[in-house]
Amino acid sequence: MFSLLLQKELKNIITSPKFTATFLVCSLLILISVFIGINEYENAVAQYQANQEIARQNIAEATSWGRVRNLLHREPNPVQIFVSGVHFDVGRLSNISDYNDVKLVRSPYSDETLFAIFRVIDFAFIVQIVLSLFAILFTYDAINGEREQGTLKLAFANSISRAKYLIAKFSGIWLGLIVPLLIPILLGMLMLIAFKVPLASTDWLSIISLVGLSVLYISLFIVIGILVSAITRSSSLSFLLLLVIWISGVLIVPRLGVMAAGQIVQVESVAQIEAKQEAFQKARWDDYSAELTEVWQEREAQMEGMSDEERTAYRDEMEWTWLEEDDASRKQVQSDIITNNRRLLEESQNRKKLQEQLAFNIARISPVASFQLAAMKLAGTDVGLKNRYETSMRLYKDDFSEYIQQKEAEEGGHGGFNISIDSEQGVQIDFGRNDQTLDTSEMPQYQSPELRLQDTVGAALFDFGFLGVCIVLGFGGSVLAFMRYDLR
Amino acid sequence: MQNSTIQAAPLLEAVELTKVYEDGVKALNNLNLVVREGEIYAMLGGNGAGKTTTINAFLDFIQPTSGKALINGIDANALPLEAKKHVAFVSENVQLYPNFTAMQNLDFFVRLGGKSHYERLDYERALHRVGLQSEAFDRKLKDFSKGMRQKCGIAIAILKDAPAILLDEPTSGLDPKAGKEFTRLVAELRDEGKAILMSTHDIFRAKEIADYVGILNNGELVAEKTKAELEGVNLEELYVEYMAGYMDEAPVSGSLSNNLS
Repeated sequence: MFSLLLQKELKNIITSPKFTATFLVCSLLILISVFIGINEYENAVAQYQANQEIARQNIAEATSWGRVRNLLHREPNPVQIFVSGVHFDVGRLSNISDYNDVKLVRSPYSDETLFAIFRVIDFAFIVQIVLSLFAILFTYDAINGEREQGTLKLAFANSISRAKYLIAKFSGIWLGLIVPLLIPILLGMLMLIAFKVPLASTDWLSIISLVGLSVLYISLFIVIGILVSAITRSSSLSFLLLLVIWISGVLIVPRLGVMAAGQIVQVESVAQIEAKQEAFQKARWDDYSAELTEVWQEREAQMEGMSDEERTAYRDEMEWTWLEEDDASRKQVQSDIITNNRRLLEESQNRKKLQEQLAFNIARISPVASFQLAAMKLAGTDVGLKNRYETSMRLYKDDFSEYIQQKEAEEGGHGGFNISIDSEQGVQIDFGRNDQTLDTSEMPQYQSPELRLQDTVGAALFDFGFLGVCIVLGFGGSVLAFMRYDLR
Repeated sequence: MQNSTIQAAPLLEAVELTKVYEDGVKALNNLNLVVREGEIYAMLGGNGAGKTTTINAFLDFIQPTSGKALINGIDANALPLEAKKHVAFVSENVQLYPNFTAMQNLDFFVRLGGKSHYERLDYERALHRVGLQSEAFDRKLKDFSKGMRQKCGIAIAILKDAPAILLDEPTSGLDPKAGKEFTRLVAELRDEGKAILMSTHDIFRAKEIADYVGILNNGELVAEKTKAELEGVNLEELYVEYMAGYMDEAPVSGSLSNNLS
């Protein structure tokens, strides 16, 4: 009996014109999105490699260690073909130098604003928007439509149980929607292989998990469709209700969640933090200047009463000590500034994390947000992308600065030149180094932050579970509603 | 109440069947009726008289407030899955699945009725019997007229081969030719020994084929006549008389039914 009902449901879906239309639209959209995604990824890789080469050349052409600057680039991630997430919004590169803090700038969208207007169509978008709508289209009249056309009465004039009927209906719609969906997805995966996209095993795992997540997400919309269809008498009413649910869930609630979190947990803007950093920096240097004046006044005081010869002798004797003291004070100022900058940044990041968490939790009222967040985590294009890169670049910056300082100490070369006048040797100009090329073979190499399973699949587990719970609850509700459904 | 000397066991039986809806409307009030093997029982009555409610009670589509609807002696509301094995149903407006062909619809609903041994030839025979043209067998139902769909509906009922058949205003909306064909088929099924309970507005067709005619008003059986009793009687006048004078009449219930039959 179950297989008969299942076959009927499948046949009913497959023979309907809307199935042909939706299957064609989905297949076309998925294949085009994967194809465009692969192209974009390949372009991004080519650009990344070219930029890396330019950065290497710039280092090689530097004539002094003081002039060595490194430019780090965000490495393209192949899973972004499926879920672009915030990839197009986050900057691609950051300068690494003692004078600037790490900051990713020049996002793809800031360079190509045209694409920022309507954004890209990727697999996640197709599932989130298009397929959820199709799921509604296939389920809005699952129960009440059968009642309206009289087939429900005719079916239940026979010895069939309601629970079995509902499970068969869900299974039939599920198979009728999911199996055809898997065809273009598999073709998309074959395209990845055909285009030789370099995917690690963790990337494949992320992609497979993404497909699983999409199946869960569509299943949820199938369940919601059946539930609404089982609590309403007319298919026009259920369609209207589902449309309202879809618009609220897909378009409104996630945005409201972010807006509400923005109001509840205030986070200072980057400009505000930079202003604070600059104010501290200025105040600290002013203090340093005042301290230096006082120090020199004290030193002058110590020399009071000395003859000119004694003063000269004293200065010569103390010169190195004073230089070291002044340099230590300067370094202390620099260290204070860096510490303050990082503290402000950390405070802001902690607050931002709180805001994000709140936003996500509110947005999760709609399971759509769960899908989106999990999909971005699986692809590594989540909101943590910027922070992950900036943190790893800061760590690299410390190593890089240490290396440069060490090289400067060993080989000299602060980027300027030194003129000395000696009574015996005459005037000498020292450029710090004799040759014009730097040996950077030991320079620390930047490694992009590695995405571990716990950062992708592990981080998405909560949303997997949440969607699963929603499906179970929704299906339970559908069964309860259908058990009480007036079949007439 | 009924005039058979050797009476077969009832296949369809309403025992003091009462249905009061949540809003207080009494759709059925202490209804008693019996349909035996090889009998057609026609329920006459206006809209809201309780005809469809009675059929719904037999199909467990509504839960009676009190009383029982028995199919082959099985309480349809207590053991609906068991009871429905013994009954086939044709609704007022058979729709079926518009994207399926007549054959596919037949195959699905007949197998749903528990008959999975039929082959295409059996379906063809049934469709021929109900008068559907061969060319229509593999056409999708969305192109069918109401009469053609009704024929499919009765073909499903025939193939289910249940001892009892419930017909809910089956000839409503059919043209006279289709109505006559349908009536012929129902009579054939009765002759094959089926117990048929039919709700209808069609007084003349009811008189033509029914072995028993019951007149319902406001959920009560106000009159019940055998075919013999209706010989030479103008049923239309009788119907109007009962409907109009009902307020002064005692309902046919329990022993009272004998006074009217």
